[in-house]
Amino acid sequence: MFTHVTLVARWCLLLVLCVPVLAGLVGVLFPALGYFPAIGANAFSTDVFATLFALPDVWKMMALSLFTGLGSTLLAVLAAFCILAAFYQSSLLGKIQGVLSPFLVFPHAAAAIALLFVLSPSGIFTAIGTRLSGYFSYAFTNLFVSETPLINETALPASTGAAILYDSIGFGVLLALSLKELPFIILMTLSVMSQPLVKKKLKGYVNVGAALGYSPIASFFKLVLPTIYSQIKLPILAVLVFATSNVEIPLILGPNSPSTLAVAIMHWFNHIDLSMRLLASSAAVVQVAVSAVAVLLFLSIERIVNYMGKRSLSKGNRYFADKAFRLCGFAVIALYIILICAVIYTMVAYSVAKQWNFPLLVPDGATLLHWKTAISALASPLINTLLLGLLVSTTALVLVIFTLESEQLKPAHAYASNIFSLSLFLPLLVPGVAFLYGLVWFQQLVFQNAVWFHTYIAHMVYVVPYVFLSMAVAYRKFDNRYAMVAQSLGKTPWQVFYHVKLPSLFNAIMVAWALGLAISFSQYLPTLLASGGTLPTITTEAVASVAGSSTRLTAVYVIMQAILPLIGFMIAWYIPVFAMRKRGGQTPMSDSLSNVSADPVRKKPKASIKTRTKRV
Amino acid sequence: MLSLENIVIYHDERPLLQLSAEVAGGEVLTVMGPSGAGKSTLLQAIAGQLKAPFSIAGQIKINGVVINNIDAHLRKVGIMFQDALLFEHMTVGENIAFAMPADRHKNKQVKRDAINELLAAVDLDGIADRAVNTLSGGQQARVSLIRTLASQPEAVLLDEPFSQLDVALRGQIRSWTFSQLKARKIPAVVVTHDKDDALAAGGNIIELL
Repeated sequence: MFTHVTLVARWCLLLVLCVPVLAGLVGVLFPALGYFPAIGANAFSTDVFATLFALPDVWKMMALSLFTGLGSTLLAVLAAFCILAAFYQSSLLGKIQGVLSPFLVFPHAAAAIALLFVLSPSGIFTAIGTRLSGYFSYAFTNLFVSETPLINETALPASTGAAILYDSIGFGVLLALSLKELPFIILMTLSVMSQPLVKKKLKGYVNVGAALGYSPIASFFKLVLPTIYSQIKLPILAVLVFATSNVEIPLILGPNSPSTLAVAIMHWFNHIDLSMRLLASSAAVVQVAVSAVAVLLFLSIERIVNYMGKRSLSKGNRYFADKAFRLCGFAVIALYIILICAVIYTMVAYSVAKQWNFPLLVPDGATLLHWKTAISALASPLINTLLLGLLVSTTALVLVIFTLESEQLKPAHAYASNIFSLSLFLPLLVPGVAFLYGLVWFQQLVFQNAVWFHTYIAHMVYVVPYVFLSMAVAYRKFDNRYAMVAQSLGKTPWQVFYHVKLPSLFNAIMVAWALGLAISFSQYLPTLLASGGTLPTITTEAVASVAGSSTRLTAVYVIMQAILPLIGFMIAWYIPVFAMRKRGGQTPMSDSLSNVSADPVRKKPKASIKTRTKRV
Repeated sequence: MLSLENIVIYHDERPLLQLSAEVAGGEVLTVMGPSGAGKSTLLQAIAGQLKAPFSIAGQIKINGVVINNIDAHLRKVGIMFQDALLFEHMTVGENIAFAMPADRHKNKQVKRDAINELLAAVDLDGIADRAVNTLSGGQQARVSLIRTLASQPEAVLLDEPFSQLDVALRGQIRSWTFSQLKARKIPAVVVTHDKDDALAAGGNIIELL
């Protein structure tokens, strides 16, 4: 009975992942080929593509998408490997995870806005720079001129150090994307490295490497990375596709004439003139091609690196640019810490500032006015966000857990399970801008007014894969002999699941739930499109507010966006702790560390895993 | 009585091991052999927990009833591993209560008494309310044994059950385990690397190649 329920769940999960994506692709393909009955276009042709490629900027848009996407992914992968190589054996690793994890749950839109604030020509870095140069010139003049002129705070020369934003080659977008991708790549890699079997193998490899005289960094690149790379390849490709087609970051930080292709698609789709939909649809198809080209380029770069790596393996060099990699690792971490501090300071200061004029380092007077305004304006978006998040995350979690359970009760054949894991990545490997519009088109055909349902589906498409990845790690870590013992004690599969697995995996389940919440909170495009703009959430409001009047109000929105997922993770962390305390301070069987999600407040459970198998 | 009649275990299509044996109540059959010979797989097959790519041919009978197609949780075959695998979200008493067949005891107090009686049999009186991870390795091993027996199995399988224990403890736990099985007339199969286990078991020995 229970086995059947889990099988049904597995099929539901598959449908939730594949149907919207495939339907969405069909839904853009038809208009792209000139078939759009709503505006009287009934004939298939390739005219729309001809129109698209006749646009003066279209090639530049594609190049921009390709450059920012591929560049940012390569940079992020390289930096991630630097950090991992420098720290994978260090006790600082846990702390680094702690620094990077908040970035993972920080929505893209919020990250982009925060960077905009910090790096803008009136941002904190420019202010500090101007201050410093001001003081230097002051000291300099002081040295030679006896009569000291008073420095007028507002009359300092404006700095030119902020050219990083809106630059026409998209360098700012590239950097912002890398900053956001790097934590994901690191945490994915760590979660692979922490799988029991892999962990054991890697430990042996590193020991052998050390015995043969290889430095830790050389061991990482020559032994660890080749062993685990195949397992992190798919997530990296997902990151790459995401980066080539992301909307929020180029929209907020990128160049406007032309913008990246994804941003242009969004503008065309939202154009008042419905015939622009045809153009947008064809551009969406082209976007799929651009992402595919990015993937192919990445794979060929990977080939070349692999070939060179093989050659360097047999050379037997015991070092691998150790100093450079260690330095890079430290530098990147330092960059993150500086940025995080600057962002927190700027956001909090702005959110309570009465007035904050450029070169001043502190705002001029404090007020709670913006918070009051924001809270009254955000009441209903907040409720929407929370309801949607709870609904999506909870159902996604149930589906995912039952699916994982069904895999253990009734393992699929190797072939089927390959297809399954590919379909899991399908929504992450197909650009969102490409299929979401088509999905909306279908949804309007089916239930026109079911706004919540449509938004729910659009969110599920993105939440389920992450919740699955996070839970799958915990499931793989779970010692299945516990289940065997329980079964041999006469317990039904349901009893084993309910009495043994659920309590043992409770921590991990809560973390996956919080991750689902965070992913749902951060969705911009899916919310905007599926609801047709009728379901404002914190994220859509925040992005909208960038174009609005008050930077201080925007700061409040960003803080809210950052706090919401953190609250989720706090709950996820504290509930198990309280549950434990009630039972008399026992430790859980499986820890939830190094899940994909890696909750930011994890400190305690680390010690617990050791108590299990050690014997006196 | 546990009978294994013409058992063949396949890995995909390739036969991994073949054996036939009969284990009477209170007897212990020892299966020995190198790693990878399929010893643990054999136990999983008997317990009904064989997973692809493995499959089994032949008949497994308990007291003359073929159990090949019975679900694992209905077979009444207890299994024990080298780790005690006590459930850490339950106390010692709860672990044992979890194993006891439902509705066998009139009320909570009777059940508690039964648990304490079982614990007393292995010199662990009064630890029913302790958290599992406060126990020593030897204590955990004994609770694990008691837990298996509490489920009133009709056969017990032991997968290298003593290999994690240090030498001083091993002999004691071993004789405890075998004498409890003997006293309850439960047929058992033990899989091991350790010649001493085989000798202490005192039953037939099958050596896999």
